Amino acid sequence: MTTAAARQRTQHAAQDSHAIVFDTVSKRYPDGTVAVEALDLTLPAGELTVLVGPSGCGKTTTLRMINRLETLSSGCIRIGDRDVMESDATQLRRHIGYVMQHSGLFPHQTIADNIATVPRLLKWPKSRITARVEELVELVGLDAGLIRRYPHQLSGGQQQRVGLARALAADPPILLMDEPFAAVDPIVRTHLQDELLRLQARMGKTIVLVTHDIDEAMKLGDRIAIFNQNGRIAQFDTPTRLLAAPADEFVVDFIGADRELRRLALQQLDPEEIDPGVHVAGSATVGDARTRLQQAGSSGVVVLDEAHRPLGWLDWERLRQADGLSRIEQLELTPWRHRLHERTNLRSALNALISAPGDVMPVVDDDGRYLGVISQVQLTRRLS
Amino acid sequence: MNPEWIASHTDDILAALIQHVQLLGLSLLFGLLIAFPLALLAIRWPRLYAPSLAITGVMFSIPSLALFILLMPLTGLSMATSLIGLTLYTLLILFRNIVEGLRGVSPVVCEAARALGYSRVRRLLQVELPIALPVIMAGIRIAAVTVIGLITVTALIGQGGLGQLFITGFTLSFTTPLVVGFVLSVLLAVAVDLALVGLLWWLTPWQRGRTS
Repeated sequence: MTTAAARQRTQHAAQDSHAIVFDTVSKRYPDGTVAVEALDLTLPAGELTVLVGPSGCGKTTTLRMINRLETLSSGCIRIGDRDVMESDATQLRRHIGYVMQHSGLFPHQTIADNIATVPRLLKWPKSRITARVEELVELVGLDAGLIRRYPHQLSGGQQQRVGLARALAADPPILLMDEPFAAVDPIVRTHLQDELLRLQARMGKTIVLVTHDIDEAMKLGDRIAIFNQNGRIAQFDTPTRLLAAPADEFVVDFIGADRELRRLALQQLDPEEIDPGVHVAGSATVGDARTRLQQAGSSGVVVLDEAHRPLGWLDWERLRQADGLSRIEQLELTPWRHRLHERTNLRSALNALISAPGDVMPVVDDDGRYLGVISQVQLTRRLS
Repeated sequence: MNPEWIASHTDDILAALIQHVQLLGLSLLFGLLIAFPLALLAIRWPRLYAPSLAITGVMFSIPSLALFILLMPLTGLSMATSLIGLTLYTLLILFRNIVEGLRGVSPVVCEAARALGYSRVRRLLQVELPIALPVIMAGIRIAAVTVIGLITVTALIGQGGLGQLFITGFTLSFTTPLVVGFVLSVLLAVAVDLALVGLLWWLTPWQRGRTS
C-alpha cells in the first residue's frame, strides 16, 4: 500500500513536469490575420485535453505551436518549466508524439520502419528498436503480419493505428493529435476513440487533441477548451461542467440543442435508483407470481432463470389468463432487446427504456445476474 | 559488311565504346551535380523556377554542332569541350524532373517528417528524395538516351566515342564501321535504359506490384 502510494506520488511528480502552460500566447501571420490572441491556458499533465471549435478558430495553430511547427509571435509556451522556444526544435519534436489527420505515413517505408522512425532518429540500438516495434504493434491492436507491408496496402483505420504507434514509439510523455480520427468512417472512428481511451487509461500521457466534433470532444476529453472564432477560449472546463454551466451563448450553441442528452451520457446509473422490482423464478407457478404481483401492486414481473439472469417480462394480463398451476417458464415471455449494465450511462439507459415492455428494464452485473430494475418514470424525474 | 575489318579493329571499337560510356556517365554526373542544387534553389525560391527553366531550355534548343563550335575557342578540341556541351544538354530534363519529383511529394508526408523531428537535410535525403526518385529517374533515362545520341556528334571535335566509327566510315566510304557504330549505339541506349529501370526497381521496393 505504502509503496504503491509512493510510486503514484513519484509518477505524479514526473507528470507535473509535463504540464503545458500557455502564457499570453499570440500568433499573427504576416498578412495581419490573427490566429490566436493572448492565450492563457494550462493543460494538466497526464490528462487528455481537447481543443475544439469552429474551423479557423486557432485550435490547430495552438496545437502546432507546442512542438514549434508554428512559431509563436509573442508570449511563451512552457512544458514543465522549459520554454519550448529555448529548446532545439528538432530535438523537441522527437520527444513529443504527433498524430495527424491523414496518417502521414512514409509511403516508401514498411510499416515496421514507419513505426521505428523516432527511435531511429534517436539512434536506439537495432535490437531495442525491433523489440519496441513488436510491442507497439500489439499495443495499438495491429496484425503483426502487416509490419512488412507498405502503407498503401493498409486500410485507413489501420494506417491511423500505425500513425499512433509511430507517435508513441519513443514513449514521449506528451502526445499531440491533430484531428486524428476525422478521415476514417464513423464505425472505425468509434473503435479508434475507444482504443485511445483504453490506451490512455494505461499510459496517463499528457495528450492534446484537436477536433471540430463536439461529440468526440465530450467522449475523449478530461478537459475541453472551446475556442470561439476570434482565436480566444470561450470556456475551458470538464465535459460535465461545460454541460452544467456553459459560460456564454457561444458555448451553448456550440454544444448544441441536445445538451441535456449529452449530459445524461456523462452520468451513470445511481445504484440507489435501482429498484429491487418484482421478480420470480421461471420454475415458480403462475399462482405464486400472481400473489407476488398483487402484494407489490406492479404491472408485471421480471422472470429469472436458475442463474438469476433475466429471461423476460410477464405482464398482469397474461398472468391473469394463465392456468394458476402451470409453471411460469411455460408461458410466453416478452424478452428485452437490451440488458442494462449497472455501469451504463443514463443516455443509453433512456434509449433502451423507450422500447422496453412494461416501461422498466432489468439492470444486471458483470455476469449478467439480475440486480433490480430501473423505470422510465425514475429516469424522466432525473431529466427534469 | 566486312567481318575482317571488325575482327582487326576490335580494340578500336571497344575503346570507342568505352569512351562513349565514359562521356555518358560523366555528363550525367555533372548534369545532376548542377541540376540538383539548382532545383533545390528553385523550390526554395519559386521565382527562380521560370528563369532557370528558360535558360536550361535555351541550352537544350541550341543545335548541338553549333554549341560545340561555340565552345571550341574556349576549351579547344578536348574532352572538356564535349563534356561541357553534353552536360548542358542534360540540364533541362534533369532540372525539370527533379523539381517536379520533389514538388510531388505529399505535403502531409513532409509535415509528418518535420513533426517527428527530421532535420531539413535529413528530411530531404531520407524522405523527399526517395519518394521523388521515380520521377527523377524518368528524367535521367530521357537524358541518358538523348546524350547517347549526341555523343556521336562530338566526334567532329575529335571526341565522340562510337561517333568516331561514323567518321571513319564516311571518310573511307566504307559501310562496315557505320553499321557497327549504329548498332552499338542503339544497343547501348537500350542497355542503359534497361539498367536504369532495373536500378529504380531495386531502389524502390514500395512501388513493386503497384499499378501506376
